[in-house]
Amino acid sequence: MYFEIKDLQVYYRAIHALKGISLTVNKGEIVALIGGNGAGKSSTLNSISGLVQGQSGIIIYKDEEITGLPTDMIVKKGIIQVPEGRHIFPKLTVQENLEMGAFLNDNKAQMEEDMEHVYQLFPRMKERRTQPGGTLSGGEQQMLAIGRGLMGHPDLMLLDEPSMGLAPILVEQIFDIIFDINQTGTSILLVEQNAQMALAIADRGFVLETGEIVVSGTGQELLNDPKVQAAYLGGESEQEKLQKGDYYF
Amino acid sequence: MKTILTKSSKFGVVAGIILIFSEMINLSSTLAEILEKLFTGGIATKDVIIPFYMGLVTGLIVFFTTFAFLKKQKSDRKNSFLHGLAAAIIISLVSGSLISVLNIILGSYLEKGKDVRVYLEALSPDVIRAFLFQTDVRHAVMNYFLSTFLGSMTALILFWLSQKTNQPAKTIRGLARLKEKIQVGRIFERYPAVKTISILLVIIAILTLPLIVNAYTISVLGIVLIYAIMGLGLNLIVGLSGQLVFGYVAFFALGAYTFGLLTAPKPFGIEMNFWLALLISLVVAGIGGFLIGLPIMNLRGDYLAIVTLGFAEIVRILINSNLMADYTGGPQGIKNIGQPIQPSIFERYFGKPLEDNVWFLYLIIFVFLLILYAAFRLQYSRTGRSWEAMREDETVAQACGVTTSSYKVLAIVIGAAIAGAAGALYASRNTYTGPSEYAFMVSVNALAVVVVGGMGSIPGTLLGAFIIKGLPELLRDLENYRMVVFGALLIVMMIIRPEGIWPVKRRKLSVAPESIEVLKEDLKP
Ligand SMILES: Nc1ncnc2c1ncn2[C@@H]1O[C@H](COP(=O)(O)OP(=O)(O)O)[C@@H](O)[C@H]1O
Ligand SMILES: [Mg+2]
Repeated sequence: MYFEIKDLQVYYRAIHALKGISLTVNKGEIVALIGGNGAGKSSTLNSISGLVQGQSGIIIYKDEEITGLPTDMIVKKGIIQVPEGRHIFPKLTVQENLEMGAFLNDNKAQMEEDMEHVYQLFPRMKERRTQPGGTLSGGEQQMLAIGRGLMGHPDLMLLDEPSMGLAPILVEQIFDIIFDINQTGTSILLVEQNAQMALAIADRGFVLETGEIVVSGTGQELLNDPKVQAAYLGGESEQEKLQKGDYYF
Repeated sequence: MKTILTKSSKFGVVAGIILIFSEMINLSSTLAEILEKLFTGGIATKDVIIPFYMGLVTGLIVFFTTFAFLKKQKSDRKNSFLHGLAAAIIISLVSGSLISVLNIILGSYLEKGKDVRVYLEALSPDVIRAFLFQTDVRHAVMNYFLSTFLGSMTALILFWLSQKTNQPAKTIRGLARLKEKIQVGRIFERYPAVKTISILLVIIAILTLPLIVNAYTISVLGIVLIYAIMGLGLNLIVGLSGQLVFGYVAFFALGAYTFGLLTAPKPFGIEMNFWLALLISLVVAGIGGFLIGLPIMNLRGDYLAIVTLGFAEIVRILINSNLMADYTGGPQGIKNIGQPIQPSIFERYFGKPLEDNVWFLYLIIFVFLLILYAAFRLQYSRTGRSWEAMREDETVAQACGVTTSSYKVLAIVIGAAIAGAAGALYASRNTYTGPSEYAFMVSVNALAVVVVGGMGSIPGTLLGAFIIKGLPELLRDLENYRMVVFGALLIVMMIIRPEGIWPVKRRKLSVAPESIEVLKEDLKP
């Protein structure tokens, strides 16, 4: 098995954030994990990458149990998480941000190759490489965060709401890039509230509600599922959101 | 012409009043004294101020007034050099006459042997004599006119020169551009020899310094460097790894007491070798840091600040208590702490052994340079980078594979060890250590050293040490004004440079506003 979660449970003191979820990612797939605010999406990713400890259940990666390993071990194995909310190192330069992504990589040649790859994906990063990360625009920061993830040379990439708070035009570009990254052989577990876009590029999807997986299927199946449509594909259109000014650039 | 006359005499009056006022409150002579102390052997006692320095202070005050006047005039309309000359002469004459009147009055009273102190409490006869340039009234008046005139003229000439070179602002901008062009860093990169030579020159300058300055300056330099060492250590913890430490003095005290107990004849009588004791002090302080770091390594937030604050108080109370007096000397502290033996090289080179304080300053410089080197290496190492990343965003640093908990503790341990070395040096330098030296104020000062200079910046830390420990020493002669002036300076600095005086350089900080179109263009595969 490439990647599998079995009966994962997470408690924060009295809060039962994940109530036993199971999911799989096959090699080379994009798997979307859809859910509203507080559904437990970030908790899932954080327990995989070891940022949250004390979970129960089993996490298997390349036929090996990795449950409860510290984050640096997980990163070394090639599972790289890009945390939600465009977290970057604001005072480090763009280049230094990217270098931090390769923190555990001692292979200098490979690091430079990865850097070149990132600069190819995001030409703007190359232009701004001597500039502090904090001075980038919101969209650029998200790209920097993804670029930093790529610098870890991921085998499996965990993306936490990469489209959060971005203008529709940028969202589209970000998803294009995620698709490109996947094309080069990286498996992706994509956490999103933007179900429409995520499911469109996903091979398979899982819908998470208050700590439980309620529906699963291929991306197309979920897009056509009436329950999913009602819950995640209706509501405010992107155009309306843009007019309300909910977006950062 | 008439307006020039009235305007410039107004400025002359202002300058004169400033002169009189600063003499009345005794500011001129204390300033002159400080200047004198800086440049001469520091033998100055209250009643002997070299007239030159009195004149210098007077001249400076008039200089600034004249410069301000000329600048103001310039914004009004175009001004010829002659106009300026006339104005400068008038200013110097008016201010000179005013200050001379005061001196004639005071001086003639003094010459008649009348004690003016009865009327002007602030002025002692000594001070008046200083104002008289150590001469009689007639000469004093001449001196004053000379210094006001020279001050005024210097202002005029400088102003005129700056006009000739096309507006000062432009000059400054030009200089900035030149600086950008030259870019020391790039030269260093291209010609490594230049870098080596400059470093050598700086080191030589530092090494000759103890030989040419006086005993007072040596003692100030010593304390400044010890605080610089502490600042370097604290900067690792606070500036780089981003953890707040309120009780840094604890580690300083650990180092000082370990060193004291190991080298003093009482209470244990070990009298260990200096270097070994220094090393052990460093290690003990580091272990102290480790023990403090362990419980907080998995916590987030400023727990360390509180924990170290408590730890510092515990340490202070313990060394002060009579309970521990058999081991720590209690309130009396430890006396006769060991000093290092001067190696015979010095004697061979200089013919005679160096004086104790000079030799010890060399020792402090040596340790300081070692730690400076280590700090530089650390900051630009992988470890330093991960500290910075941790400070910026702990979650992401962890997600990048940084084991934040161990890096946190590592920063505390290294910072604490450096404080321990500083403490050992401090104890050895004073040959005494006692609980009163490890008050909370030391922690505050150490923190101020880091913050004032610029968090995370090594040169900033050195500058901070000078400002926090050196400046108050230089201002010591201002006595009553000292803390007021110091406080005011700190406030001004923090307003002008909130990031610290010498913040870490991160190149361009501006970002051009951009449109969606630009981004879209960029993102096209
Ligand atoms: N560190 C934490 N401490 C306590 N509760 C938490 C913590 N992180 C998340 N939670 C709670 O767990 C639930 C799931 O949160 P999260 O995984 O962040 O959801 P999502 O990412 O889907 O929005 C929420 O109810 C949230 O309040
Ligand atoms: Mg989340």
